[in-house]
Amino acid sequence: MKRSWLIIVPIIFTLNIIIFAQQPKAQYSKLKIKNAWVRPAAKGANSAFYFVLQNNGSKPDTLIGAESKLAEIVEVHESYKRDNDRMGMRPAGKLVINPKSELEFKPGGFHVMLLDLQKDFKIGDSFEAGLQFKYAGKIKVIAEVRDTPVTKVIKQ
Amino acid sequence: MKRQHLIIIIILFWGCEEKFPVIEEFGGTQYNLVNQNNQNIVFPDYVKNKIVVINYIFTNCPDICPLSTNNMRLIQEGIKKENIKNVQFVSLSFDPKFDTPDVLKKFAGIRNLDLSNWDFLTGEKSVTDSIIKKSGVLAVPNDSTIFKNGRKIFYYIHTDRIQLIDTDGRIRKNYKGSTISVNEIIADVKYLQ
Repeated sequence: MKRSWLIIVPIIFTLNIIIFAQQPKAQYSKLKIKNAWVRPAAKGANSAFYFVLQNNGSKPDTLIGAESKLAEIVEVHESYKRDNDRMGMRPAGKLVINPKSELEFKPGGFHVMLLDLQKDFKIGDSFEAGLQFKYAGKIKVIAEVRDTPVTKVIKQ
Repeated sequence: MKRQHLIIIIILFWGCEEKFPVIEEFGGTQYNLVNQNNQNIVFPDYVKNKIVVINYIFTNCPDICPLSTNNMRLIQEGIKKENIKNVQFVSLSFDPKFDTPDVLKKFAGIRNLDLSNWDFLTGEKSVTDSIIKKSGVLAVPNDSTIFKNGRKIFYYIHTDRIQLIDTDGRIRKNYKGSTISVNEIIADVKYLQ
């Protein structure tokens, strides 16, 4: 009997450690990326990658970067309105996604800029990228290459 | 009776001018450009007697210019669906050093754009600068990226614009290119015909 306890107790102890270690990660693993799409563009040209980031967890997380083998440079950017209908673009920095909220990457707003594409992005192709989060780590995203319908344009 | 007709015509003409006051005239000035097929184009002479829908772009623009260009495509589809003739689409690059005819051709080709009544134009920088100045479009190089191979590209802060030009080469209406209402511009094209 004593012998069996000697086996059971360390097992329970180890399981507890594993469960507790996983808990914070689980809070951040409730990030969901939906409606991902990317604009068509020729090899060597630039494109942009859009999606909706949903945080269903109870803690905030932060998007700290993006990567893809299909572009030489991948950066999180933001288009912004200046005076007289002029538009500019700037790095977005680190973006916090609060719990129970959404952050939309959309034309005319936040987007992941893809520079110097390594191949043609034709309509209907698929595109793979990784989004890097402070807590949730890297999340792989598959996006479809397509044009945006006019009803999806920015609201200002 | 003749007098009544004259009054009606004057009222109609006045009404049209009121709805679409002339913003700017290209007048007699002609600009030598090339299109995506490397064909010489004299603008706006080559679109004389046509209504022109024009936008101003640079192909390194990852977000706003592709959105404006996609809206041009939707306008073109709407115009075709409504069977409206005599409309020419033009996309003019304000970054002609990078946007060569070949680059413009690829930009249009990868998007499967219908180029039967749509030209992508480029040319000498001094010429494209003159046109955008006349059009009230501002494009200022801002940020840049240098790639591993040393290639450098610029990003512009620029006016987000689609414009309607009448059959006499006069700019009649400005729209925000990325958020334009396709139905609105189609109605305006019909009105100007």
